[in-house]
Amino acid sequence: MIKLPLLSTVLKNIAKRPATNLFPKTDPVPVPEDFRGKIIYHVDKCVGCRMCVMVCPAGVFIYLPEVRKVTLWLGRCVFCKQCVDVCPTRALEMSDEFLLATYDKYDKKLRWFTEEEIEEYKRKLEEQKKAKEVAKKS
Amino acid sequence: MIWELLALLGIYAYVSIASLLYAGIDRKLVARMQRRIGPPILQPFYDFLKLASKETIVPNTANFMFKASPILMLATTIALLAYTPIGFKPLFATKGDIIVFIYLLTLADFFLVLGAISSGNPYAKVGASREIALLASREPAMMLGVFTVMWALSKHGVEKPFSLANLYEHNIWEFGPMAWVGGAVLIYVFMTWLASEVEAGFFNVPEAEQEIAEGPLVEYSGRYLAIIKLAESLKEFIAASLVVAILFPWGIEMPGLEGYVVNLLIHTAKVFAVLFVAKTVFRAVTGRLRVTEAVNLLWTRVFSASLVASLIIAMGVVM
Repeated sequence: MIKLPLLSTVLKNIAKRPATNLFPKTDPVPVPEDFRGKIIYHVDKCVGCRMCVMVCPAGVFIYLPEVRKVTLWLGRCVFCKQCVDVCPTRALEMSDEFLLATYDKYDKKLRWFTEEEIEEYKRKLEEQKKAKEVAKKS
Repeated sequence: MIWELLALLGIYAYVSIASLLYAGIDRKLVARMQRRIGPPILQPFYDFLKLASKETIVPNTANFMFKASPILMLATTIALLAYTPIGFKPLFATKGDIIVFIYLLTLADFFLVLGAISSGNPYAKVGASREIALLASREPAMMLGVFTVMWALSKHGVEKPFSLANLYEHNIWEFGPMAWVGGAVLIYVFMTWLASEVEAGFFNVPEAEQEIAEGPLVEYSGRYLAIIKLAESLKEFIAASLVVAILFPWGIEMPGLEGYVVNLLIHTAKVFAVLFVAKTVFRAVTGRLRVTEAVNLLWTRVFSASLVASLIIAMGVVM
């Protein structure tokens, strides 16, 4: 005798509503508290202590000695949150964003503190220096 | 003759659409049974068109049969449609055409197996050997049941004995209580046979995706895969048609072309109901057996039940 224990369940399920989430039509399943999503980097808060470079297991961070900041590419990020935990100035934090698919590895949304921003920041530093020198002279 | 060929083309078009439609309904229902939403009902049509438009890759190790098999399989299945009872008498119904029917039904599977072993892939060869083992185990039970029913109907003094057309003149439920018991056993036999014919549930042995990577279909792609899928889907409908014609052949009397169309639609509804039990529900509630277990089950449970049913029906007819 063949037993079919699933039969009743299966036939009952036809009448029930599907227990699925129709993602593109509806919102995705809400993220929990303390969800580890995409990293946010606040350049102005960063003091260049290199802690994140030391602690990162994936090599996301590259230290820039001339501006004493880091640049990061999230294509390598494993969302372990160690950089956030170790950052003394709260310059790094985790957001709720997780829809990070792109066609381009070096997309803008996977980068913080890009080359242009670095150049801009350097110029700002120069201007500040000049302003200081002008102030000294006067 | 020319009208019969035109009718055959019409039947081919209709059965293609109906069988692919049932494949869609089947997927939808299995999805709902598992609390999923499932694909749209027309998904098999989209799959077919996509496969037909894809690049077809032929392995280096394949010989000419690899390309010929899918076409021969579809041709066999279309030829089989001319002998299939679909709500009315088969187009080419003649004395003893049941032999042709069974022959063509198994031949389609043989062509699939030939294509698989011509691909040169060891997985395909494993799948092909399983397919043959299952084929050899499942057909005797069906043959015995069908021949018994045919023999019983020929006792009524039909015009062409052992023709599938007899199924619409008389049926096995006319032979009194003995035959009803035998018929009940035959329902079990034919449902199991149909499940093993469409390779659902227990009998998903040759195309075991998780074990041997789709078995016979492992090297097929593009247009050939589309043809094979269509032929298999047609074969499903034909096998279910046989079951429906033998066990539940009731239609309505109606003259003219409308009668044919209405009977065809009634028959399609019955085929869908039979496939719902033998394929959809069976697929949803059972897992695969091992190939040895499947062969064992077919020989011990199904063939013996077929034997018992045949004897009971025979006794009912003789008395």
